Amino acid sequence: MTGIDTAQPATATAGELSGEAYRVAIRRWLRANLPASFRSDSAAFASPSLQQSIEWEAALYRAGLAGITWPKAYGGHGRTLREHLIANQEIGALAMPESVNSIGKELAGPIILAVGTEEQKHRFLPAILEMRDIWCQGFSEPEAGSDLAGLRTRATRDGDIWRITGQKIWTSGAYRAQRCLVLARTGPLEDRHRGLAMFAVRLDAKGVRVRPIKSIDDRESFCEVFFDDVEVLQSDALGAPDEGWNAAIRVLEIERATNRMYRSWRFENELRHLIAACKSDPALAQLVANPRYEAKIGEVVVDIEVLKAHVETAVDALANGDKIGARGSLAKLHWSEAHQRFAALALELLSQASLPQLPAVQIARRRFEAIYLQARAETIYAGTTEIQLGIIADRILQLSKGK
Amino acid sequence: MTTLIGEGLQPSEFAVTAARAVADCAALGPREQAKHLANDGLLGVIASEEVGGLNLPLAFAVPVVAAASSGLLSFPLMEVLLLSRALKEALPRAAGAVVSGDMLATIAWQGSVSAEREGESIVLDGCVARAAGVRDADTLLVRLNTGGAVLMPTDSEGVVIEDAAGLDLTVPDHAVRLQGVAVPAASVVPENAWSVLCSDANVLRAAAILGSAETCLAMAQEHASTRRQFGRALSYNQALRHSLARQKLALEGIRHALTRSVGDEAGALERDAVFLAAAAYGCAISEGALQVHGGMGFTWDVPVHRHLRRVRALQAQGNASEVLAGLGRRTVAAIAPASDIAVRA
Repeated sequence: MTGIDTAQPATATAGELSGEAYRVAIRRWLRANLPASFRSDSAAFASPSLQQSIEWEAALYRAGLAGITWPKAYGGHGRTLREHLIANQEIGALAMPESVNSIGKELAGPIILAVGTEEQKHRFLPAILEMRDIWCQGFSEPEAGSDLAGLRTRATRDGDIWRITGQKIWTSGAYRAQRCLVLARTGPLEDRHRGLAMFAVRLDAKGVRVRPIKSIDDRESFCEVFFDDVEVLQSDALGAPDEGWNAAIRVLEIERATNRMYRSWRFENELRHLIAACKSDPALAQLVANPRYEAKIGEVVVDIEVLKAHVETAVDALANGDKIGARGSLAKLHWSEAHQRFAALALELLSQASLPQLPAVQIARRRFEAIYLQARAETIYAGTTEIQLGIIADRILQLSKGK
Repeated sequence: MTTLIGEGLQPSEFAVTAARAVADCAALGPREQAKHLANDGLLGVIASEEVGGLNLPLAFAVPVVAAASSGLLSFPLMEVLLLSRALKEALPRAAGAVVSGDMLATIAWQGSVSAEREGESIVLDGCVARAAGVRDADTLLVRLNTGGAVLMPTDSEGVVIEDAAGLDLTVPDHAVRLQGVAVPAASVVPENAWSVLCSDANVLRAAAILGSAETCLAMAQEHASTRRQFGRALSYNQALRHSLARQKLALEGIRHALTRSVGDEAGALERDAVFLAAAAYGCAISEGALQVHGGMGFTWDVPVHRHLRRVRALQAQGNASEVLAGLGRRTVAAIAPASDIAVRA
């Protein structure tokens, strides 16, 4: 039982709503349908089970809040990127669980839209949105983290079948996924970036083994995945070798700029929650009225505003048909570091709470301690800080390598 | 003018004109600079048509002020642009003279003075500071401690302009003492015009910092690419590549926040935020650019220090620390304690 009230209208955005009316409809739907137990700023919060998350995300999709910009032909809602931004502003405003299928919705889906066959689009995309297929990402390997050119997992063609052998690591959510977006090598290791191919591999296929890894937040959310001579049909190969990966790189550039677009508005929700919790506690209420902390809170507000500016500029550029290029690295670098600064401030403040601790402070501590730990990963995944700095230096500043 | 926008005129189109005009001004004195800038239509970009301006939105002043800062224009252009608009209701003739370049005017950003009414005059006493380029100005806008501001001739009896203080060499600022300075009571600019002026100033300060920061980064990039050490260009070193990449991130942060601050939905929050982002990032960029230049960066001849001085002066002029704490204070005040939120949810 998710507590999702099915008596509420299933569709937030029926008809031809646009602009402010579209925003208001989404806001109403979310407030009416998001169960209190899913809200990490609520006393009723209890981390949702996988099944609850699946049901909730399927309800979000039916309400028009997933696959927003995907074509209607493949189950999407066919809306614009600016409408996607509006929806994400409203999604971010509430403390909502992260998607258990963000790899499907924000990585595999867009790549399939770009390079998949018609048959693949019809087969894979609606299943992602309806939460029948949860995806995970099989890119990183023990010997190829940031440097994907060092990839060793091999795909060998055998008639209409590919045979995949190798090992992936840091594969978030593999234990709960049906499909893995596997990047594998079709030629020799010396080919570096050449000969890479992508596959939609079923995780229940013979020869696939998933081993969870416990992470610093005490969860087992990411995994090692072993492929031992796994048979994959040609119909599950995404694009030809090279072609698929090259197209995927372009998709990834856009994704880096647009994924989890709600992030700055969620960040704002976290700041509101932190301040609300502090103001309910006598000692913390005094602290947040102290000029030193006022300035620190001011800095968080500026960080959030700058992040919004990065996101909105990227949306405007894409909506105007501009290439986003490497600019997604700017927003990624900014939010990941800003969020870590904020999480550290939240811990610093909450650690100074009065005794006995009030429920509001306990709720906030539970949320912000988790956020603090999870935020350590934010400067590592999707390209580490150092990788982003390298991209900015190489591709935006085009600095000479100095020979 | 709305027709210009209707014809698709974009703020960026002013950048080229402004850069050229700023370059032309290099060898001119302040009065000739005013005339030159006025002839190019730059002093009236945001002023109303009644006073000879183009009546364009504030967004159009952004590239103009950025170009002035980038070219180290020794003219208080930001102040003139703001006055061309702020004086329109109370002192339309003065606004017109500012737009045409006939009157050199500036603003004292720090401090306020007392005002005693004496018949048709008011008598001003007190001390103000951060008056950019006031030594050459005909008039100075001074904040009144009763609210609003007053436009006062700088050659009035009882006005003492002190030697330039502060780091900025490009548009030096001065403290000004006023002892029994009598000005017509009609010279008062109301409080609402003053607060609009201050809010617009936050955006234009950010624009000025953007211009300086952009120039600093370009210089640092050039130096890192051409200066060779250990047999390679400096930019071969990852430490320098990453330092420059961080400066680029900061620069684009200012640029994007500026775009946002002049958008249709922007208010006080976006304007405070852009100034604060520019002040913090602008310092990091100009100090970082100086560091990339090594010993050369510490010399008088490399102009990075002029930009650094200007950025620091603008940060102080806008009172960044107080704006930052104020932003935090308002954020905290606007949020209800958690128990109330639970009830609302």
